[in-house]
Amino acid sequence: MKVKESEYLKLKKSILKKLLDKLLARYEYASILANDSKSTNYRVSKTGTNISEDGTLSERGFCVKVYDNGKAAEYSFSAIEDDTVDAVFDEITKRLDTLGKTLPEGVTAFSFDGVEDEKLYINESTEYEVDPEEKGDNNIIDLLTRISEKGRAYDEKIIDCSVAFSYQKYSKMFLSRNKDLTQNVMWSCGYIVAMAKDGEEIQNGYKPVSMLGGIEVLDTLESKLEDACKTAIELLSAEQMIPGEYDCICEPDVTGMIVHEAFGHGVEMDMFVKDRAQAQEFIGKQVASELITMHDGACTIPQVATYFFDDEGVLAHDTIIIDKGILKTGICDAQSAMHLGVAGTGNGRRQDTTRKAYTRMTNTIFEAGTSKVEDMIASVKYGFLLCQASSGMEDPKNWGIQLMVDIAREIKDGKLTGKIFSPIVLTGYVPDLLKSISMISDSIEAGGTGYCGKGYKEWVKVSDGGPYIKARIRLG
Amino acid sequence: MKEQILASLKRLHIEEYIINITSYQSAQMFFVKKSLDCKRAENTITYNVNVYRTFDKDGKEMKGNSSVYVYNGMTDAEIDASLSRAYLAASFVCNPAYDPMECTENKFIIMESNLFDHTLEECCEETSKALFAEDNRKDVFINSAEVFAYEINVEIISSTGIDSGYVKRYVSGEFVAQCKEPQDVETYKDFRYNDLDCESLKSKVRKTLEYTLERAKATEAPKAGKYRVIISDSYVNDVFSYYSGRAQAGYIYAGYSTFEVGQNVQALNEEGEFADIKGDKVSMTLVPTEPLSNEGIWQKECELLDNGVLKTYYGGLRFSRYLGIEPTGFFGCVNVAPGTMSVEDMKKQPYLWVVNFSDFQLDDFTGHFGGEIRLAFLYDGEKVTPVTGGSINGSIIDSQTNMHFSKEIQKSADFVGPYAMCFEDVPVAGV
Repeated sequence: MKVKESEYLKLKKSILKKLLDKLLARYEYASILANDSKSTNYRVSKTGTNISEDGTLSERGFCVKVYDNGKAAEYSFSAIEDDTVDAVFDEITKRLDTLGKTLPEGVTAFSFDGVEDEKLYINESTEYEVDPEEKGDNNIIDLLTRISEKGRAYDEKIIDCSVAFSYQKYSKMFLSRNKDLTQNVMWSCGYIVAMAKDGEEIQNGYKPVSMLGGIEVLDTLESKLEDACKTAIELLSAEQMIPGEYDCICEPDVTGMIVHEAFGHGVEMDMFVKDRAQAQEFIGKQVASELITMHDGACTIPQVATYFFDDEGVLAHDTIIIDKGILKTGICDAQSAMHLGVAGTGNGRRQDTTRKAYTRMTNTIFEAGTSKVEDMIASVKYGFLLCQASSGMEDPKNWGIQLMVDIAREIKDGKLTGKIFSPIVLTGYVPDLLKSISMISDSIEAGGTGYCGKGYKEWVKVSDGGPYIKARIRLG
Repeated sequence: MKEQILASLKRLHIEEYIINITSYQSAQMFFVKKSLDCKRAENTITYNVNVYRTFDKDGKEMKGNSSVYVYNGMTDAEIDASLSRAYLAASFVCNPAYDPMECTENKFIIMESNLFDHTLEECCEETSKALFAEDNRKDVFINSAEVFAYEINVEIISSTGIDSGYVKRYVSGEFVAQCKEPQDVETYKDFRYNDLDCESLKSKVRKTLEYTLERAKATEAPKAGKYRVIISDSYVNDVFSYYSGRAQAGYIYAGYSTFEVGQNVQALNEEGEFADIKGDKVSMTLVPTEPLSNEGIWQKECELLDNGVLKTYYGGLRFSRYLGIEPTGFFGCVNVAPGTMSVEDMKKQPYLWVVNFSDFQLDDFTGHFGGEIRLAFLYDGEKVTPVTGGSINGSIIDSQTNMHFSKEIQKSADFVGPYAMCFEDVPVAGV
């Protein structure tokens, strides 16, 4: 089934075109992004049940972008009717004319030469099997409750088992002088967090699922419950890592975090504009083992960050960032592309229509290799299998790694010993880690239950992943 | 729209509800080096409606709730459909019943701020000027910055008669300082002020530029081992989130936390036993940053810890009702009493003073804290060396009986307390 177009946006289209015409008479470029988005979160745990619409992901809103004598300006608003077009136009011009009249000493407004606006029409939708709204809130809660109760009964050390599902269904419309774009997308995700307690210590086992589609994402969630509970209990007896550099095998979610946090942020080309990314100096150079090919794009794989055009009306791409170890290019939003004199890659994304667009990742992965996971583990004399990625922070300027994983499973003479260490901080220099990759498994897994921020804000849905990789990593 | 929502609730016979209407006005400026790259303005509004439903299940009285957003331009039929669905969803949410938030007093508060003396555009421009005022050196400079001026107007209406609200203004933003020689490094900082506090922002920029210069000189990571670690600035606030996290009514109700009122929670070790506190004792107060919570609770200061002893639990309506305590809402600011040791005293013995992490985190479930070191000063007893790289990997549960706070304090919109704190024997992953 295809996701249906928003009736609300269909109704507003003629009104928005009137506003656009007025804006185009005043500015050399104007566009309007309209968003009708609905997202609901469902969660069941010992503390209770929750059904709520997500305040960050649900909106009906509009964002106008203009270039006024080459200077970029935007205005966000949430209401427009046929009889308020003139008032909205007046408010836009008044507010944008007033702001920035006085700038700090030595600061000037940047002026762009011209905005590309090629003729384009799109009306596309993603597919799903079962719409969560049709499934019904009661059936969703029943399923989550069953899994949660089963988890809580798994072992006396399990103090809670939180089970969640969320989805977002959105329609976006982008209008400019030459563009008339509409897309309708739905993604869904879920997770289990089993919590185990011993004394003052609480640990958790986390298992996620995500996909481009509907409630069918939950079909596999229950099968992950036992793993989540076992992991939480195991972590209670984890030892502290002895800091050092080790041979490590990374599970796909840890590979995904390396792809996304350690490298992906470093090739966001708005960082090139600011001279904040070391990657800029490495285009055409080797930055990783020749086993590595890295992609990012809204059409790279069908996942939670799949779309047809970005929030600036640029078509989605599948960008090859690293090709056999050589850094080929970065990813780019439209305005950064204008700064750099390159083509946009469809990575201009906004948290919502009230926020600015930045260069953002979408679905970011390493390609698969040829090794078998069991051969990779067997090749390690002493090292660790790293599992359950928990958080990471980018450092595009210095390519420093800060990643945290919950579990390091000890490997001795090619076998897992059963001993585990936690928590684990991965540090080092990104190219050193990527160049040390010596084996890659023959299939990939990707997922996206979380959100990616730009610094500490601007949350957008992303997915990441890849194969199991073997690398030399400094752990602490 | 408010009247449309109220009429719909009446038509649908929904007897318990709370409506949050929030309007946002903002002015925003985005700078790259010495250029204004983009400016933005905003005028938006959101309507969030939380509906409650009380029902019997297996002889027990239950209460469910579900929240939805209603949008400008929705017809009466659309609002009815949206609220009906939420009301039906509430019947699947089986939580033990609890009383709604009663109305104690209705008023509308304008939160005190000198930002109201200016237009939002002026607030944004003046803050930008303060930010760039210190950017006058050749060796270190502001690479990029974002400045926001917000006015947020909140109105809360409930079925129990609450009809109150407030309006607040603040300026916030972030900036990146860069130094290119002897090596190219940068430092990220964010800020938020409830007043037009140009001097505090200038001071923050000045300090960040100085640290960035120091970081450019740091080339080596500390050796792996255990260190006497000093942290300062906003990282100190992060550490105290362990206590505020574990004292939440939701954590207590769920059994995630064993904190008990009257107990010396700072003395609790991993086995749940009490140890002697050799260092400074924690006294902290939670301070609201808004007068009214989104559940209609008028918020006031809440003394949480006195010399390590837990004085109260705190939290939102449902879990507070379950625990039989007064609902307090949640708090955006923490006040912590300073210690007796000066920063200079802390630095008399060997130390690793981390002034900048790539991302410092404390997990209030595990008590683990850590982060990658962007810049630290290592004093080995003879000389101070700037270092970079490696990470600290500590545990507040292990460290809390022997930590010291500076007598110098810091003030920001979300924290008033010691400028620095010091832990003994913290594992550091270095070279």
